[in-house]
Amino acid sequence: MQLSMLIPMMVVLPLLSGAALLLLPSGGKAIKAHALIGTLATLGVSLLVVCRFDWSESQAIQMASAIGWVEGFGLSFGFGIDAISLWLVLLTTVLMPLVVLGSFSSVTHRFKEFYGWLMVLEAAMIGTFVATDLIFFYICFEFTLVPLYLLIGVFGGTQRLRAAKMFFLYTFTGSMLTFAGVLYVAWFNTTLPWTLFEGAGRWTFDIRTLYGSAQAMSHGQQVWVLIALLSGFAVKVPLFPVHTWLPLAHTEAPTSGSVILAGVLLKLGTYGLLRFALPMTPWAVVTIGPYIGAFAVAGILYTALICWVQKDIKKLIAYSSVSHLGFCVLGMFALNSVGVGGSILYMINHGLSTGALFLCVGMIYERMHTREMSRMGGLARIMPVWAFFMVFFCMASVGLPGLNGFVGEFLTLMGAFVATDVLGPAYAAIAGVGMILGAIYVLYMVGRVVFGPVVTLGPSLGDPSDGHGVRTDDLNWREIGVLSPLAVGCLWLGLFPTTVLQTLEAPIEGIIEPTRSILDGGVYGKGVTIDSDSERIDRDSDFPAARRVLVLFDTDRIAQP
Amino acid sequence: MSIEFAKWVPWLPAAAAVFCGLCCTNRRMRTLAAPVCIVSLVSGFLITLGVKGQIGGELSDAGTRLQVFEWIRIGGLNADFAYYLDTLTVLMLLVVTGVGSLVAIYAAGYMAGDRGYARFFAAVSLFIFAMTTLVMADNLVLLYLGWEGVGLCSYLLIGYYYQKPSAVAAAKKAFIVNRIGDLGFALGIMLIYHQFGTVHFSTFTADGVVYPGLFEHCSRLTLAQVETPVLVIPFLLMLGAFGKSAQLPLYVWLPDAMEGPTPVSALIHAATMVTAGVYMIARLLPVFELSPYALPTVAVVGGATALFAATIALRQHDIKRVFAYSTVSQLGYMFLGVGVLSTVGGVFHLFTHAFFKALLFLTAGSVMHGLAGQLDMRKMSGLRTKMPVTCWLMFVGCLALAGFPFTAGFFSKDMILAAAMDRGLTGQGTMYTVLGIAGLFTALLTAYYTFRVWFRVFMGPTEYEMGEEHAAVEDTPTDGNEADPSADTSIDDGNIKVEHHHDAHEMGWLMNGPLVVLAVGALLAGWLGHADSSGHSWLLSVIEGSSANPTRMVEAAAGHAEAHTMLLGMELHTAMMVISSCLSVLGILVAAYLHWFNRPAADRLAEQWSGSARVLENKYFVDEAMDAVIVKPLRMMGYLCFVFDRLVIEGLVLAVGWVPRIGGLAVRRTQRGALQGYGIGMAVGVAVVAVLIAMVR
Repeated sequence: MQLSMLIPMMVVLPLLSGAALLLLPSGGKAIKAHALIGTLATLGVSLLVVCRFDWSESQAIQMASAIGWVEGFGLSFGFGIDAISLWLVLLTTVLMPLVVLGSFSSVTHRFKEFYGWLMVLEAAMIGTFVATDLIFFYICFEFTLVPLYLLIGVFGGTQRLRAAKMFFLYTFTGSMLTFAGVLYVAWFNTTLPWTLFEGAGRWTFDIRTLYGSAQAMSHGQQVWVLIALLSGFAVKVPLFPVHTWLPLAHTEAPTSGSVILAGVLLKLGTYGLLRFALPMTPWAVVTIGPYIGAFAVAGILYTALICWVQKDIKKLIAYSSVSHLGFCVLGMFALNSVGVGGSILYMINHGLSTGALFLCVGMIYERMHTREMSRMGGLARIMPVWAFFMVFFCMASVGLPGLNGFVGEFLTLMGAFVATDVLGPAYAAIAGVGMILGAIYVLYMVGRVVFGPVVTLGPSLGDPSDGHGVRTDDLNWREIGVLSPLAVGCLWLGLFPTTVLQTLEAPIEGIIEPTRSILDGGVYGKGVTIDSDSERIDRDSDFPAARRVLVLFDTDRIAQP
Repeated sequence: MSIEFAKWVPWLPAAAAVFCGLCCTNRRMRTLAAPVCIVSLVSGFLITLGVKGQIGGELSDAGTRLQVFEWIRIGGLNADFAYYLDTLTVLMLLVVTGVGSLVAIYAAGYMAGDRGYARFFAAVSLFIFAMTTLVMADNLVLLYLGWEGVGLCSYLLIGYYYQKPSAVAAAKKAFIVNRIGDLGFALGIMLIYHQFGTVHFSTFTADGVVYPGLFEHCSRLTLAQVETPVLVIPFLLMLGAFGKSAQLPLYVWLPDAMEGPTPVSALIHAATMVTAGVYMIARLLPVFELSPYALPTVAVVGGATALFAATIALRQHDIKRVFAYSTVSQLGYMFLGVGVLSTVGGVFHLFTHAFFKALLFLTAGSVMHGLAGQLDMRKMSGLRTKMPVTCWLMFVGCLALAGFPFTAGFFSKDMILAAAMDRGLTGQGTMYTVLGIAGLFTALLTAYYTFRVWFRVFMGPTEYEMGEEHAAVEDTPTDGNEADPSADTSIDDGNIKVEHHHDAHEMGWLMNGPLVVLAVGALLAGWLGHADSSGHSWLLSVIEGSSANPTRMVEAAAGHAEAHTMLLGMELHTAMMVISSCLSVLGILVAAYLHWFNRPAADRLAEQWSGSARVLENKYFVDEAMDAVIVKPLRMMGYLCFVFDRLVIEGLVLAVGWVPRIGGLAVRRTQRGALQGYGIGMAVGVAVVAVLIAMVR
């Protein structure tokens, strides 16, 4: 089998097994087993990709291939994988079997729809990470909305319809603008002379080709493109102040939805920023970056304070996601390898630890039928195994060194601190207060729920003293099996993050190279610049970008060879 | 023994922690937790002794780097799991593993029968892992790992009796207050990386490339080359040290930390973890010396804390709280010592303090154990007949803490105060003289409050009230298993293995044995630092062989200290010894009068000064003030943000959502299904298009 077929297999396998679900009889057991096998098989394929990946060339797009689509318009299903994509794919494929396993007892009806849509969601998420074609990326990116909309809307809590609608409309509106920006870049590429670089001057949606054309834009054009990209990706992250859909969606989503949402879907936003905003619009990023950093810092503190006054444990974790992703964005816009490396690691870390926290909360909800912190307490006494995992993941979440959260948090702050040309110490110092607030709200939650006198009141509806239907049994082996791999992952990434970081260094270099060259005053773009004084076009010349020359492409003036 | 064995010092307890953690889940394995923990700690201690034998041999003066594995490496940042061994490290390891072993042996008896037995030893082992990592770290990030790691263990152990709300609150407070300091520490690390481009201490070579370490960078800099950002570094690091070592204004967590089991108070909150701040400043002295204001600031904060905490200790009634404030005060001495460039004094006091304060806490624990949780010294008296061994063990500890001549605390405290006075009298600032006098006054207070405890508890008529531990949740002697919640109700009620005596009683030798070792240390450890006729001592050689040796500033001050300073016609050190001996004896005598011979006089005195007494009893109302000034407003901010989020930000989004709907409302009237309307619309549309086409043509 060809190596390049592994990646499409990864995308198609969950789709196929999702479709095959429909053929099964509607009994629960067979469907559950099938879903588990399907996700495990996908995990297997992704592990095969890990084995066959050439780690010495981690920045190169490997196993790349394209399946033609509308070739006249430059459309194709192009895919390929570099180290950044690979780690995020691995995060997805590792989380999915655990999500399926974790849903065995929480989903009680409509098994086919539930597991079917989960599989479709997995395919869409993997597709987003492996796409090398903008339209393919965009299709997958948008298509994640549909399964999650249904998962929330059908299997969610009491306000599920409102939450699903808000989630869908909010993110959809944002990404429509992103689509406009993407189309603009593609159109801009057709206006460029074909001699400029390989792929210029025709319709194409190949991401790497479009890097070159977008970099050739003027500063003003880049700012507009960046704003368009941000409007989709920042909502998805979500960056303060466009985060309000998240707490509602998380609280109403079923556990599996929350885990996927926090674990992977939010990373589509940061991944988009990393993959598109940074290399495509470096000039705009350099000038607007500090403002984005400021929003990230504001979001860290603002949502951390909000976390502290939550009564619903799931809402608390949902808001904490906003706070955490602030660190992620902050590190990314530090535009140095420490910050961006920390940011990517943060994506993986947050996926593991927050995903695990949502699973823990889900296990409590199954037993207590409530998420109100005032109606439970002291669970360490009656559910010690659960308490162990809960405290463990909370510690990972507050960034305790030795666990994964610390490495990401420390590197993003360190990156922001030393990036005096974009952000600087003030950003790190203020964002660092988030470390303290993080400890405050997490320990507040742990102190109420895990420790203290035992309280198992159950839901407040109905007879409050009754506690009807409240179970207080500790985790069973299946649940321990769900949480243990995540705990091992947290510990492993906390002690040996270098295994990931080393593979990221080269791809990060590629991504921050355009912005770095602007900041350092080196060569900018593909060596194509226009001297603003003489309006002369220099090709492949070493032009000092420190002068911040405007790159204006007036196609009429470029001599066609 | 090869020095490479030192790598195992942290990892043996780490393995023990995992094992003890597994023991939590199985009832039969639970009793294995203590032996495993003790064995791992004792082997750590033995390895350290072996390494100590290599001082001067394999362990050179420049320090040795031991690489374990690559931890964080990206873009020039190089923070490995690597250890740095020099004499200071070895000294700290001796304290940590030595006191750790003794406390673990004591705890094996003290915690027997508790349902969290295995959990306790898992946390203690984990603590030793973190603490040894802290003192062995070769880079700041790894030091930070140990730093936060000990914070976690402190959190878990303060909150050990997690069903008690006060314990949970105290644990939370400790973690959060420490986090405030840690933020300063973290920013300090970042600034160091920004300025020097490195975070590791020692210079090392890897793949033929030399990576110069922090110490080398510092020694290369001349004071004239130091730029403003570098001057800021020590102040950020200091914040971390003040948080971890409970100095003003971040001391508030330590007294509350006494909610934890007493062995924990002895090990973590007296002997080892809280001294991490002193260690950190001593270790990073080359960085602190770059800033002319950093060490004086440390000295002032240390001196002020020493005095401040000692005054609070005067009027506390809970034995453990007296010792807790005393710890804060003694830590202040250590900072004073480091701050006046007497790193030897500071580290020496750290060393002796570990012995006598661990001893005091453990004997207090014995009293608590014997009286079923009773800690209020107003409710006990004359226990010497009931607990004779404990009585005299605590007496030794009290003597050392009070600085009674020729005990351990006497020498170390004297060294610090003499160094401060020396700097003051040689004209390096009146501030130092003031600090020295404040230190002497603190010594008087210390002698008084220490013996107040001892005379109240052990002297006078024998009468006491038992505590309520049998009824309380904290030490219920059930033999239930943590992972088996059903076990403790059904099976164990009739099967209580560990009997609690129902009267005050002496401890067994499992618990008293380690105390005797500590008592011997408390009496004799001072001689290790006592200079012989040629001015040399073991401790001096330890400091001189490490990074904590002050060189830069001592040279700068060398012009002042040519002759020996004289005070009261005697050589300064002798004079200070005489003065502090007198103060110590005076304090003990006053305590004896007020709390042994004439107790009513003490009560009358308290009544006469009821205002001050109340302020002291309430610890200057600092907790209340902090709650009102910081905690409540912050929480209010949280509520405000939440309301703002729901109403304004979410409201705006919903308002935007209304725009298309309003647009729809506006054009809805045109879609009413009447053909005439559509006809007019069509005609107008065609007309507009026609006009447009005509205009374009």
